[in-house]
Amino acid sequence: MLGQYATTLTFIALGAIFAYSFYAVLIAGQLSLGQAGFAALAAFSGAYLAPAPADVGDVPSLLIAVAIGMSVGALGAVVLGLPTMHLRGVFLAIATLGFAEAVRVVLLNQEWTGGAQGLGVPRVLTVGMAWTALALVAYWFWRMGRSRYGRALEAIREDELAARSMGIDVGRHRLSAFITAGAVAGLYGVLYAYYVRLIAPNDFDFVAAVEGLVTAVVGGSTMFLGPLLGSGFQTIVPEIQRAVGVEAGWIRPFLASLLLLVVILFLPGGLASLIPRRTRMPSGPADDDATGLAGRRHPEAGQPVVTLSGLGKEYGGVHAVRGVDLEIRAGEVVGLIGPNGAGKTTLVNMISGLVPPSSGSATVLGTTVGSTPVHRIAAAGVSRTFQHSKLFNRLSALENVLVGAHLVSRPTFLRRLFWLPSARRDEQAALRQAARCLERVGLSELAANRAESLSYGDQRRLEIARALASDPSLLILDEPAAGMNHVEAARLSELIRSLARDGLTILFIEHNVGMVLQTCTRVVVLNFGEVIASGVPDEVAADPAVIEAYLGSAEEDADGTGARAGATAAGAGDAPPDAVANLRPGASGTLDTPDATRDAT
Amino acid sequence: MQQLLNGIFIGSIYALFAIGFTLVFGILDRLNLAHPAVFAASAFVGIELVERGGLSLWAALPVVFVFGAVLGLVIERVAFRPLKNRADAHFAGLISSIALAGMLIAVLQWRYGPDTRRFPPGSFPDTRFEVFGAQVTLVQVVILAVSLALMVGLTYMVTRTRLGRGMRAVAENPTAARVLGVNVDRVTAVTFAISSALGAVAGVLFAINVNTAQLGMGAAIELKGLAVIIVGGMGSLPGALIGGLLLGLAEVFAVQHIGSSWVNVIAFGLLFVILLLRPQGLLGARKVREV
Repeated sequence: MLGQYATTLTFIALGAIFAYSFYAVLIAGQLSLGQAGFAALAAFSGAYLAPAPADVGDVPSLLIAVAIGMSVGALGAVVLGLPTMHLRGVFLAIATLGFAEAVRVVLLNQEWTGGAQGLGVPRVLTVGMAWTALALVAYWFWRMGRSRYGRALEAIREDELAARSMGIDVGRHRLSAFITAGAVAGLYGVLYAYYVRLIAPNDFDFVAAVEGLVTAVVGGSTMFLGPLLGSGFQTIVPEIQRAVGVEAGWIRPFLASLLLLVVILFLPGGLASLIPRRTRMPSGPADDDATGLAGRRHPEAGQPVVTLSGLGKEYGGVHAVRGVDLEIRAGEVVGLIGPNGAGKTTLVNMISGLVPPSSGSATVLGTTVGSTPVHRIAAAGVSRTFQHSKLFNRLSALENVLVGAHLVSRPTFLRRLFWLPSARRDEQAALRQAARCLERVGLSELAANRAESLSYGDQRRLEIARALASDPSLLILDEPAAGMNHVEAARLSELIRSLARDGLTILFIEHNVGMVLQTCTRVVVLNFGEVIASGVPDEVAADPAVIEAYLGSAEEDADGTGARAGATAAGAGDAPPDAVANLRPGASGTLDTPDATRDAT
Repeated sequence: MQQLLNGIFIGSIYALFAIGFTLVFGILDRLNLAHPAVFAASAFVGIELVERGGLSLWAALPVVFVFGAVLGLVIERVAFRPLKNRADAHFAGLISSIALAGMLIAVLQWRYGPDTRRFPPGSFPDTRFEVFGAQVTLVQVVILAVSLALMVGLTYMVTRTRLGRGMRAVAENPTAARVLGVNVDRVTAVTFAISSALGAVAGVLFAINVNTAQLGMGAAIELKGLAVIIVGGMGSLPGALIGGLLLGLAEVFAVQHIGSSWVNVIAFGLLFVILLLRPQGLLGARKVREV
C-alpha cells in the first residue's frame, strides 16, 4: 500500500523541507532565492565527504552527510548573509539568486562534482527517514512560532522600523533567520542527493529555486504548516492528473499553473489560511505579578533622563533643528509644541536614535545618541509611538503588545523546543504584561483583533500600549491625540497623567495645545528648529514669542486678531479638563490665524 | 572589432528586454515574471507569421509589437490587478505572474510542440557590410536600429508626453496621482502593455539573431534581464540600456577569453559586486526610507 506511493510521499517530504528553507526567511519578510545554492553546496560536499554507506552503514553515513550538509549550508548563509543583509525585497532576492547561479556554474566546472554528468550517490533515504526529517523541521518552526524569537521575526516582517524601536536587533534576527534557511536548505540538498542516486549542479538551478519559493508561498508563509501543505499541493496535483488520465504534454503544466494562479489570487494567506488560527490569551488573572519578566531600573525622580546640548540636524542646507539645549528630568511630563515644520518630529527622532544628529550631542538614559543603534537606545529604556501609526498590521492587538514586551521578556524558543515548564511560565508572564498594558489603554476587549482592523483612535491607543509594554523609563508620544475627538483626547490626557503618577518620564508632541497645557508639567515650544520658550504651561502660554510663532505678530496683523487669539490660547490653560481648545495652527505651514479662532473672537 | 559589434548586437536585445522589465518595476514597483514568457511566445508567433502568414521579417515586427501589448494587458488584468490592495502584493504578484507564465508556456507547447523552431530558409536578406574590417549583416544592423528606435521612443514618451507624466506621477505616489486626476488603473494597464510589447519585439529580434526559438528561451534570458536591471539601477531606463550593452559585451568577451561555461559567473559576479558597492545600481536613485 505504502510502497505504491513511496516515491510520491518522499518527494512531498523533500519538497516541503526545501519550502521550509524559504519559509524560514519569508516569516521575517525576506525574499531570498539563494537556498538553491546552499542546497547544491551541501548536496555535493555531503555526498563527497561522508563515508560510503557500504563502510559505515546506511544511517550513520546519511547522518554524517546531513551534519556536513547543514553546516555547509549554514556557513554559506553566513558568508552570503553578512554582506547582503542590508538589502531588501527584490534586491536581496536577486543578489541571492546571483549567488546560487555562481555556485551552480562553479560546481559545473569542477572535476570532483562530475560536472554536467553529475555525481553518483547511493540511495539510502527511505520514505520514513524523509518524513522523520520533515517532522523535525516542522516541529522546529512550530515551536518557534509562539516564542519571543518567532514574534520578533514576524514584527520585522510587518514593520522593520517599529521592530527596531521595540528593542529588536533587526540585523541579528535577519541573519539568524537566513542561517536557519541555509541549514534547512542544506538538509534538503543532502536528503535529495541520497534519494535520487545522481545529482547534477543543474538540479539546483533558478527553476528549482523558484519552485521552492512558490511552494512556500502557496502553502502560506505565515503559518508553520504552510510549506507542508504547499508541497502536498504541488506534488499531488500532477499525480492526480496522471491518475485520472490527463495525458502528458501541455495540459498538465497548464492545469497546474492555473491552479497555482487560483490559489494565489483567492487565498491570500496561502493554503494554510484555511486552518483557523487561535489567538492565545493569558490564563489566569492579569494581576500585578511581574515574575518571569526582566526587571528594569528606572532613574530616581529628578535625575536627568535626556540631556541635549547644541543639538542640530541639517538636511541639505535646511536646518530642521538648530542648537537645541534641553534637559528632561525623571518624573517630568514635557509637552513639545510648535507650528508644523518646526522640527518637533526630527527632534524626537534624534532622541530615540532613528535619526543621527548632524551637530551637538545628546545623552539619553546614559546612552550617547548618534552612532548607537536604535535597539540599544530602546534597551536603555526609551519607548515611543509614531506620528503615523506603525503597528504590526497582520498581528493581533495582543501580539503587537507582546512584541512591545520584547525587552522585558526572556527568550523562550530553545526552552520551548524541549517543553520546559519555565518557558511556559515566562510566556505567561509576558502575556500577562501585555494584557495589563492593553487594559490600561482600555483595549482588553479587542485583544484578539488584528491591528489593521482597529479604528484609528484604537490604533493610536494600541501603539501606546505597545510602547508601555517594555516598561520604559522615557515614553515618547508623537501626536497621540491626532484625529481624536475631545472626549477621547481628554481620556488620553488622563491616561498620560496617570502614567506620570507611576513615575514615568514622558515627552510628547501634540498640536492640541489645550491638552498639552493641562497635561504637562513643562512645555517646550519649537519654531524653525529652535527652542523659543520653555517653562510651566501658564508661563509659556502667555509668552509673546510663542503667540507670535503660532499666530503671527500683532504688528503684522492690521486688524489685531493675533493678539486676541493669543489671549484665547492662554485662556485654554485655565479651562476645565473636558473643555479642550483645539488650536491647530498653520495647517498649511503658514502663520495665518486659524478660522476657528477667528470665529471665537 | 567583430567581438565588439557582436556584443553590441546581442546587448541591444538584452537592453530592450530589460527595459520592458524595469519599466514595470520602476513605475509600479512590481516584478513581472511573466515577461520572459512573453519574450518566448512572441518569438514563436513571429516565426509563424513569417512561415504561414507569408509576412516579411520586417512586417512581422509591428504585428508582434501589438501581440505583446495585448498579452501585457492580459497579464495586468489577470495576475496583478486583483492583488493591488493586498498587503503581500509584492510576493503574490511574483507568484501569480509565474503561474501565468507557466500557462503561457504550456499553450506554446500545445500549439508549437516541444521542439526548436526556425525561420523558413530564405527569410533573411544576404546583404552584408564591412565595418572597420568586421562582417556585419543587414539583419544585425536592423536589430540594433529597431532596439535603439524603440528605446528612444520610450524615453521620449516617458519624459515628454502626458501619458509619461502620468506614469512618473504614479511611480512617485499612486494615491496622490489618483487624487490629482490621473487614471491610475489606465496608466498601470498601459505600462504593462508597453513593457510587454518591448519584451515581445526583443523576443522576435532574438529569434532572428540566432534563428531559433525554444520554449526555454525565456527562462534563459530571465536571469540576464534581472542582472541587467540591477546593474543599471532598478527602474532606470538608461541604466537598463547601459546594463544590457555591458552584459552583451562582457558575455562575448568571456566566451572569447575564459570559456563559454563561465559566462554566467561573469554576469552574476558583476551583479554581486554592484549590489554590494552600489545597491541602487549604476543609474538608480536611492529611495529614502521614511520615518
